[in-house]
Amino acid sequence: MEYVNPLTGFRVDGRRPNEMRQLKGEVGVVARADGSALFEMGNTRVIAAVYGPREVQNKGQQVNSKDALVRCEYRMADFSTGDRRRKPKGDRRSTEISLVIRQTMEASILTHLMPRSQIDIFVQVLQADGGTRAACINAATLALADAGIPMRDIVTSCSAGYLCSTPLLDLNYIEDSAGGPDVTVGFLTKMDKVTLLQMDAKLPMDTFETVMDLAIEGCKAIANYIREVLLENTRRLECQRG
Amino acid sequence: MRDLQLSLNQTQRVRLEAALHELQTVAPAAAVTVADTIPVNDEDNILKGHGTSDQDGEVVATLCGVVERVNKLVYVRTLRARYKPEVGDIIVGRVIEIAPKRWRLEINFSQDAVLMLSSMNLPDGIQRRRTAVDELNMRTIFEENDVICAEVRGFQHDGSLHLQARSQKYGKLERGQLLVVPAYLVKRRKQHFHHLEQYDVDLILGCNGFIWVGEHVVVGENANMMENKLNLSAEVENFTPLETRKHICRLANAVRVLSALGFTLTVELIIETAEASVSSNIEINNMLGAEFYVQTAEREVKRRADLLRKKSGAR
Amino acid sequence: MVGLSEGEKHFIRGGIAQDLRTDGRRRLQFRAISVETGVIPQANGSARVRLGATEVIATVKDIVQIEVDPAAAAEINAKLTVAVQIEVVVVMRGDDDGEETRKRQRWGEERGCGDDGRGRDEPCGRLSWGNQAFFILIKGKFPFLLIVAQLQHPCLRVEVLKNFLLSSVLHCKDAYSVVKVGQVCWDLYIDGLVVSSDGNLLDALAGAIKVALSDTGIPKVNVSLSATTDEEPEVDVSDEEFLQFDTSSVPVIVTLTKVGKHYIVDATSEEESQMSSAVSVSVNRHGQICGLTKRGGAGLDPSVIFDMISVAKHVSRQFISVLDSEILAAEAAG
Repeated sequence: MEYVNPLTGFRVDGRRPNEMRQLKGEVGVVARADGSALFEMGNTRVIAAVYGPREVQNKGQQVNSKDALVRCEYRMADFSTGDRRRKPKGDRRSTEISLVIRQTMEASILTHLMPRSQIDIFVQVLQADGGTRAACINAATLALADAGIPMRDIVTSCSAGYLCSTPLLDLNYIEDSAGGPDVTVGFLTKMDKVTLLQMDAKLPMDTFETVMDLAIEGCKAIANYIREVLLENTRRLECQRG
Repeated sequence: MRDLQLSLNQTQRVRLEAALHELQTVAPAAAVTVADTIPVNDEDNILKGHGTSDQDGEVVATLCGVVERVNKLVYVRTLRARYKPEVGDIIVGRVIEIAPKRWRLEINFSQDAVLMLSSMNLPDGIQRRRTAVDELNMRTIFEENDVICAEVRGFQHDGSLHLQARSQKYGKLERGQLLVVPAYLVKRRKQHFHHLEQYDVDLILGCNGFIWVGEHVVVGENANMMENKLNLSAEVENFTPLETRKHICRLANAVRVLSALGFTLTVELIIETAEASVSSNIEINNMLGAEFYVQTAEREVKRRADLLRKKSGAR
Repeated sequence: MVGLSEGEKHFIRGGIAQDLRTDGRRRLQFRAISVETGVIPQANGSARVRLGATEVIATVKDIVQIEVDPAAAAEINAKLTVAVQIEVVVVMRGDDDGEETRKRQRWGEERGCGDDGRGRDEPCGRLSWGNQAFFILIKGKFPFLLIVAQLQHPCLRVEVLKNFLLSSVLHCKDAYSVVKVGQVCWDLYIDGLVVSSDGNLLDALAGAIKVALSDTGIPKVNVSLSATTDEEPEVDVSDEEFLQFDTSSVPVIVTLTKVGKHYIVDATSEEESQMSSAVSVSVNRHGQICGLTKRGGAGLDPSVIFDMISVAKHVSRQFISVLDSEILAAEAAG
């Protein structure tokens, strides 16, 4: 299948190889949560809700009383994928992604400022069209900022791949299931540091560097967008408060 | 808007947008988001307060909020974060657990607050040492899920919060409803207990965002408390009278609408909103509807514009 | 869900007795209903219904099922088969406090995610929610509908929901037809997702399912007969033309909660904590009862139940008219 048209250079959905899907972020979608966000990357739609910092529910889990405990859960709705999936018991992918998101966010949250408390991050995928991991991290960042939890930096994430000898930014489901390499990068924009790097399939080293740089560019673009959304939201709340 | 998910028709939406837009033009805010650099003159004596951190010599925000400068202190004031307690704050909390010699309360803080048995007046009012019998009878004073009004006494060395409820005006709150609003909407004032005489209603604005609206309870009568207990079990005839209940519901709905709009809650504003609903003949449950929502927004915008005009006129 | 103190409970009971609830509603008034269709573009039909703070999303997806084979047909025409899977529910119900974790033992096992990333089946109580979720798989008499609902409610039991949704939604015989062996039919999957729960989930879900069904477009299918009967028929699924369901006869559910001596409609979760019993009635447009269930510990006199049914019929007319007008508005818009 031709993922990149050799004549025009367009991809399956009409994008250019280094073009990201349309982003949409909204803050404050779940009324009961301390912070919540809805993030869309093209057709991938994800809701994140953050509860905390609050009292630790299960004292047995609290390993270090000087830091906050960060927990994360990732779930996919049954109607989220094209063909309705029947979830097998103990969905490994969900637990793996939960762990990945937790580690990524923990690297950025200033946990030492909230000792003896816990922060719960819940991410639910409403629609999956490739790049769910990245969308979840972006949504979690928005939700944490909305909840007023101190963070070192804005964490954003984007995926990139390599098909038909072209590095492609922000793969959708069709491109993702093509069997080519899929690199997901989590990036701290201000500090210019990579906090998450995952890849499947294989790539030669120099191509890998190109693909990773492309993903980092995507992360920076997403960070600008997220910053604007948060700034707008803060201004609105402050003005309304009076 | 967060709490009231309303479906506005086209005209209402337009009016609401116009009102909110006007608010934005009134006072622009110096907002920052996470990882924004805060512009400071390079004087060495800038104190970096809450919500800031030092990265590579620059002052960087760690929270989303508004930058405040007080003399040499620079800090970021968040909006929708959890409650930040200060000593002397009056708060309303709910008992979560009864632990040895203390009650644990949930107060919208990162940890549960602790109310020691020794910080609470005994039912008989005598000042004495708390014995083991007192400890066993803690449940007669406060049970689980009770709503309590107390004051912040201080922080312990491990960061947990201690409360005290020694005065007569603190204690258990019954016969009313508890509302939860974001903590930043309640400003610290001199008075948090408000007895609204015209309605015979008690309104307590807890600094942690828990607001109590209930029947007026005469302060400082322990005997009354015991009577109330018996009455609760006898029930039926002892329900709140309908008139008072109507006022309570109106005030509660006014608080809900104002918190959904994100306006700072003050007693005057709440009373004004409740009275506006009476004068416009809006049913109590329609106060949570789209029309009253938009009207309240417009009214508040007008009020603020008038205030600003008066201030600039006075200068 | 946070607990309530005795004083607050007394206040709520008093309000219900005096016909003025905590948010000013009368006993038989619904909260503000807001309906949106097409929220999940990937599904064939979807709807989001908000009843005050309760928010649910229902989606309908269809899959062409070629050839109802004899084995499947036997199952289809047989009794109901129910598979129940208990799962930790949707994200949004995260505000469990200490009380909930103490209650969790009562509700049985939950699934959680350990810190090391491995999923566990034993009650680990980690990301636990005091309330359970019910994941119900219902294969009914009509091969069309497979209802899967993820819910969370402490008072709902699996059988309640199964009997209820099945009888109420499937009751409209004119909308569907029995499929014979060898026919090609659509398999519809209905999913319900609770985004935020503040009481009265059944009503919200049933309403959302009704609106989602009305929003569903079944693509027109052209089946070409092949020469030999051994081969599977060629099915051409059209992308352009869609068939719409006529959902005017789909019933809605009205739940009446009995607190003290009075009944209320559309209880919030605080009011539900005070209930002695609740009767959920499924009523359709013609005023016929399509399903009925009672929950709660207290016993009810039969005359009380008849009274509640008639009240539910009366209240349902308003609810159905609101939903129908929203459906028409959505159709007119797009």
